[in-house]
This record gives sequence, structure tokens and C-alpha cells, in this order.
Amino acid sequence: MSEQIVTVTSSLPAAAFLVPLAAGALVFLGRKLQRAFWQGTALLASGITFLIGLRMSGQVLSGAVLTTWGNELRVDALSALMVVVIGGGGFLATLYSVRYVTRPGLLTRAGAEATARRMPTFYGLVLWFLATMVWGCVTNNIVMLYVAVEATTLTSGLLVAFYWDRRALEAGYKYLMLLTIGITFALLGCVLLYASAAATGQIDGGKALLISEVRHVAHLIPAGTALLIVAFLVIGFGTKAGIAPFHPWLPDAHAEAPTPVSVLLSGVMIKMAMYALARTVSIFYPNWPQLTVFAVALGTFTMVLGIVIALTQDDLKRLLAYSSVSQMGYVLVGLGLGTYLGCYGGLFHLLNHAIYKALLFMCVGAVIYATGIRKVSELGGLARSMPITSACFFLGALAIAGFPPLNGFMSKLTVYLALAKAGLWWAVVIALAASVLTMVVLVRAAYTVFWGSPQGAALAQLQVREVPVVMWVPMVILAGACVVLGIFPQAPFPLLDKAAAVLATVGR
Amino acid sequence: MNTQPLNAQLIETLSMVMVITSVAAVEIRRLRLAAVAYSAQALLIVGLLLSFAAVNPSLYWWAGTAFLTKAVLTPWFLFRFIGKTQERELPPLIGFAPSVMVAAALMIGFYRLTHSQIALLAPTEMAQQEVFRTNLAVASTVFALGLYCVLTRRDAIKTVIGLCLLENGVHLSLVSLAPELSETALFGVATEVVVTVYLLLYVIAGVRQEFGTTDTLALKELQW
Repeated sequence: MSEQIVTVTSSLPAAAFLVPLAAGALVFLGRKLQRAFWQGTALLASGITFLIGLRMSGQVLSGAVLTTWGNELRVDALSALMVVVIGGGGFLATLYSVRYVTRPGLLTRAGAEATARRMPTFYGLVLWFLATMVWGCVTNNIVMLYVAVEATTLTSGLLVAFYWDRRALEAGYKYLMLLTIGITFALLGCVLLYASAAATGQIDGGKALLISEVRHVAHLIPAGTALLIVAFLVIGFGTKAGIAPFHPWLPDAHAEAPTPVSVLLSGVMIKMAMYALARTVSIFYPNWPQLTVFAVALGTFTMVLGIVIALTQDDLKRLLAYSSVSQMGYVLVGLGLGTYLGCYGGLFHLLNHAIYKALLFMCVGAVIYATGIRKVSELGGLARSMPITSACFFLGALAIAGFPPLNGFMSKLTVYLALAKAGLWWAVVIALAASVLTMVVLVRAAYTVFWGSPQGAALAQLQVREVPVVMWVPMVILAGACVVLGIFPQAPFPLLDKAAAVLATVGR
Repeated sequence: MNTQPLNAQLIETLSMVMVITSVAAVEIRRLRLAAVAYSAQALLIVGLLLSFAAVNPSLYWWAGTAFLTKAVLTPWFLFRFIGKTQERELPPLIGFAPSVMVAAALMIGFYRLTHSQIALLAPTEMAQQEVFRTNLAVASTVFALGLYCVLTRRDAIKTVIGLCLLENGVHLSLVSLAPELSETALFGVATEVVVTVYLLLYVIAGVRQEFGTTDTLALKELQW
């Protein structure tokens, strides 16, 4: 990079996670108050986080890197992008939840009174979940990165089990257990990385904790230890990011959580884990470029396995969850290539997947809100009664399948080009095949649910109506984003370009 | 760092006893006794941290945190959960005799492997010297035993004990690998484990209520 980077001390990186953290505490303190207070606080805090993300992006684009507390927090273009994704996803999911949680049986199994009693816990945890995710993306401390990633598991663990029935409890147990075991490997990796960096003697102990400093001495770490560190980090953060074969927790958690939480888990959280993986492993790339083939192989395996299992799903939320596994494969392939084009494609796909997966989960949540049914085989013909939801779902399905001119097409194309440029044609073929399967899975589901002939006795007795405005507005915004980013892929270019430059360590 | 003041004999004895208590926590079928073995193991970690603190005073802080989180809070949560209702764990996936043999093989094999291949795990010169070398070998052995426990036990409470062992192994390795880690980082790392244990036991209490058992094999509502 030829341009000068200026380090600017700013309180924004701290504010980005302290605001939702404090708001969460406020919701817990005000648990005796009304629903309007909890929801208003959550909306306000997530909105502010999003705005802080945008503000930081603006500053980063002008060539600055924002730091707080003596470089403990550090926001470059990559971190700013992640805060925008987390803040935006958080705000829209909260807006969507405003009416969703009021329908009996959608937030808990208990009666209306008990549900109302548990609602502040829900919003408090959602805010803390957002706060921990943002914290993970702004911290520059390698051990705190682990602490933040594990903290996202803790804040979302009870949200996954929130419904508190057999399925939700099973999902919650698996989620907490598997992710904690996985993340413990990441701790080992992070600590080894720190110790190895300190042992090079080039930087003193305190600085060896800072990711931005470790980058400069990574090439001095002995090969055997470096390999061990990478393996631990891939197992640790890879588990959290839903990379196969560490993904079995994902479909359970993403499907059994209340829909607004599914939106956050699939739309945002797994990206944050992928960020942690890319941020740490990429520092080894310049000296061990052979890691790229390993990452691409793991990514293609993930994309194929996820979508093949998605083919067999009848439950709409599980289908979407498995498709998330598959899509994370594309992100991993892009980022794993380590080239500028690969990183650009990976990050663009990360952004796009956050948009259309949040959209698809919201649409399925709308179907559940309107009918109480989530099995494809029991649904059909909803397009007439739910025109907005059906249009949004269909658009999201086309976008995720990589149909031009939608956003998924642009980012997938970038990943394909990056793979081709790196000479990995086998991976291009596999990625294309997985994309065709995605089209089959999602478009078939969309067709059956919204245009197929109505199936099942339960549906016939229902008076199905379109969901309330506050539920479809976030869906329309996200669907609009799919179109806009597809037609104007240059819109996010400045930020993605700078963010990709942070990760791109192999050639240009 | 001057390592002279370290009482190597004490550290080695504590380390060996710690490995044995880990095996006991994995193998003892009576849940309360297993929790007692875990508590003993946690106290030994505190003892080890205190012994190392002779050369690294910041470890006193770490020892205090470990005492509170590992030796007081975690056992308290475990005992409160186990109560008097459930005496023995559900039969694990592997019988008692073979399990003890596997645990012994893991213990000896892993210890020898890490002790001989220390350069891989210990990038610093200090960590490759005795007694830090023993510390790392013990840490990775406890880690392996914890992983073994999580993988082979059916009883959810036993998997939580396994998880604690796994974490304790990693935390013990910090003595050798990250002697200069800041207090906030240590505090974060230690607090999270205790919160994880609390949340897991909270969810397992729900599982016990809904499924009528803590058998993880009974959790098969969600497959594929």
C-alpha cells in the first residue's frame, strides 16, 4: 500500500461496543418496565452502533486507523466493515422482532404473562450479544479476541435455548458445549501465537499481545509451532464459523433459536468468527503460502457438504442453516486464497450473505408468524395471501443462488475469478456445482411454499395474512440491498477495497 | 527470568498428583466423588500457580482468580446441581476397565510425547527448561484427559467436568506460555469458564426437567 496510514486516537471503537453493553444492562435494570422501553432501548442502541460503524468507516476511508486505550482497540477498514454488518444486522433484527415476539408461542412456550416476564432477558441478551460481537471485531489484543468470541457464545447460549422445549434445550446444550470446546482450541492457538511472537525477541511482551504487532514477526516463528497454531485457530474459530466438519452445532442452533436470533446467528455471528479466523491466520500467509490450498480445500468441502445436506431438509429453518454452512465455504475460499481478489470476493460475499441470509430467515419467520408451520411439505400457495414475503423470499433465494444481476452473483463471480487467477480450476468447478445445487434447494423451496398447491390439513384451516409493517419493512430494505448491490457493485467498493488490502498477503 | 527460587520438587509432586486427580475426576462413577476429585484438582492448580509465583509475582493474582473461579464457584455449582438426587453417572460409552486403561495410556503417552517434543509447544527458551517443561507436559495431559472425558461420557454432568479439565489444562499452560499476560486478560479468561459452567448446568437442568434424564444420548430430537 502506497498511501500513508494515520493512526488517530478515537473513542468511537470503545463506544461501538460500550453502547449496546450499557443498553443491555439498562434493559435488565428496567425489567419491571414496559415492552416499549426494552424494545426502544434495543432499537436505539443497535441503531447507534450501526451509525458508529458508518462513522468509523468514513474516517477509515480517509486513510485513518482508529485506536483506543493505547492500541488495545484498533479499527481499520476490515473492523469498520464488520461493525457496520453487526450494527446493521442488529438493528434490522431488532426492528423485525418488535412484533414477532408479541405473537404467542413464538418467543417461548409459556403463556403470555410468562413470555412478557422473560422479554427483558431476551432483549438484554440480544444487546450483550451485539456488544460482544462488536468487541471481538474492534479488539487488537489476541487473547481478548478469544475472550470476546467466547463471550458471544455465552451471551447467545440462552437465546438459542430461549424457547425452552426439548428441541431448544438440545440445541442449547450442544451449542454451549461444542462451541466452548472448539473455542478452547482457539485460546491455545492465541496463547501460543503470543508466546511465539514474544519469543522472537523482536517485540516486547506487552506488544506481542497486539495483533497489529504480531504480524511483523510472524515470519520468525518456527514452522512446526506455526503449523500447530494455525491448526488450533482453524479448529477453534472454524467451529464457531460453521466450517465443516466442525459445523454440527450450527443447524440445530440456527433453527431452534427464535427467528430474530437466527437472523443474528446466521447473518452476523458466523461472519464475526470468520473475521477472527482470517485476522489471525492471515498473518502466517506470507511465509506459508501453501496454507491457501488447505483453506480452499476446506472451503470447497464445506460448501458442498452444507448444500448437499440442505437438499434433504424439510424444515425451512434447518434448510437455511445448512445453506449458511455452504455459503461460509465460499467466504472461506475467498479469504483463504489470500490474494487481493480472493479477499475482496470473500469479504463481498460475507457482506452479501449477511444481507440475504438475514432476509431469508426473516421471510421464514414471517411464514411461521402467519401460519405457525415451518415444514416445506406442509406449506404451499402462500404467495396470494403474503405477496411481500413471497417476493422478498424469492429475491433472496435468487440472490443466494448467484442469479444475475443480484448481489450474490457479483461476489460469487469475484471468488470464481480469484480462484481461476490462482489456477485452482477444480475449485471453480466445485463452487459452480455447489451454486447450482443452492439454486435447486432455495428456488424449489420458494416455489413450493409460495406458489405450489396448498398441502396439509393445518394450512387449509388458517386465515393467512401478510405480516405487519414493522416486520416486512426490514425485509424490503434487505431485498432492496440485494438488488442495489447487484446492480451497483461499486457502491461498497471503497470500504471493501481497503478491507481486502488488510487481509491480502499473498501477491496482488 | 531467574528460576532459582522455584521449588522444583514441590512443583513436580503437585503436577503428578494433579494428573492423578484428573484421571480420578474422569473415572470415578459417583458424581459427588468425581466433583470432589475435580475440586482437589482445582486446588492443586492454585497450589501450582502459587509455587510458580515465587518467580513471577503476577501469578499471585492469577492464583487468587483461579481459587475463586475454579476451586470455589465451579465446585459449588456442580455440587448444587448434583444434589442428592443423582448418585451415579449414567454408564459411559466405554466400560470401566478399558476406560481406565485408555486414560492411563493417554496420561503416560501424552505426557511423554509433550515432554519430549516440547519445542513444538514451547517457543520460548524458558518454557523449554525444567520445571516449565513439566508444567507444559502436565497441562497438555490434563487437556487430553478432559477431551477424552467429553468425548466418551454420556452423562451431561460428566461432560461438564471434562470441559472444566480441558480448560484447566489450557489455563495451566499459561504459566509457561504467557507469563506476562495482563490481569484483565487473565480475569476474562477465568471468568468465562465459570460462566460457561453455570450456563451449561442451567441448560442441563432444563434438559433434566424436559427429558427426565441427563443422558446426552437421549438428545436426539435434532438429527440431520
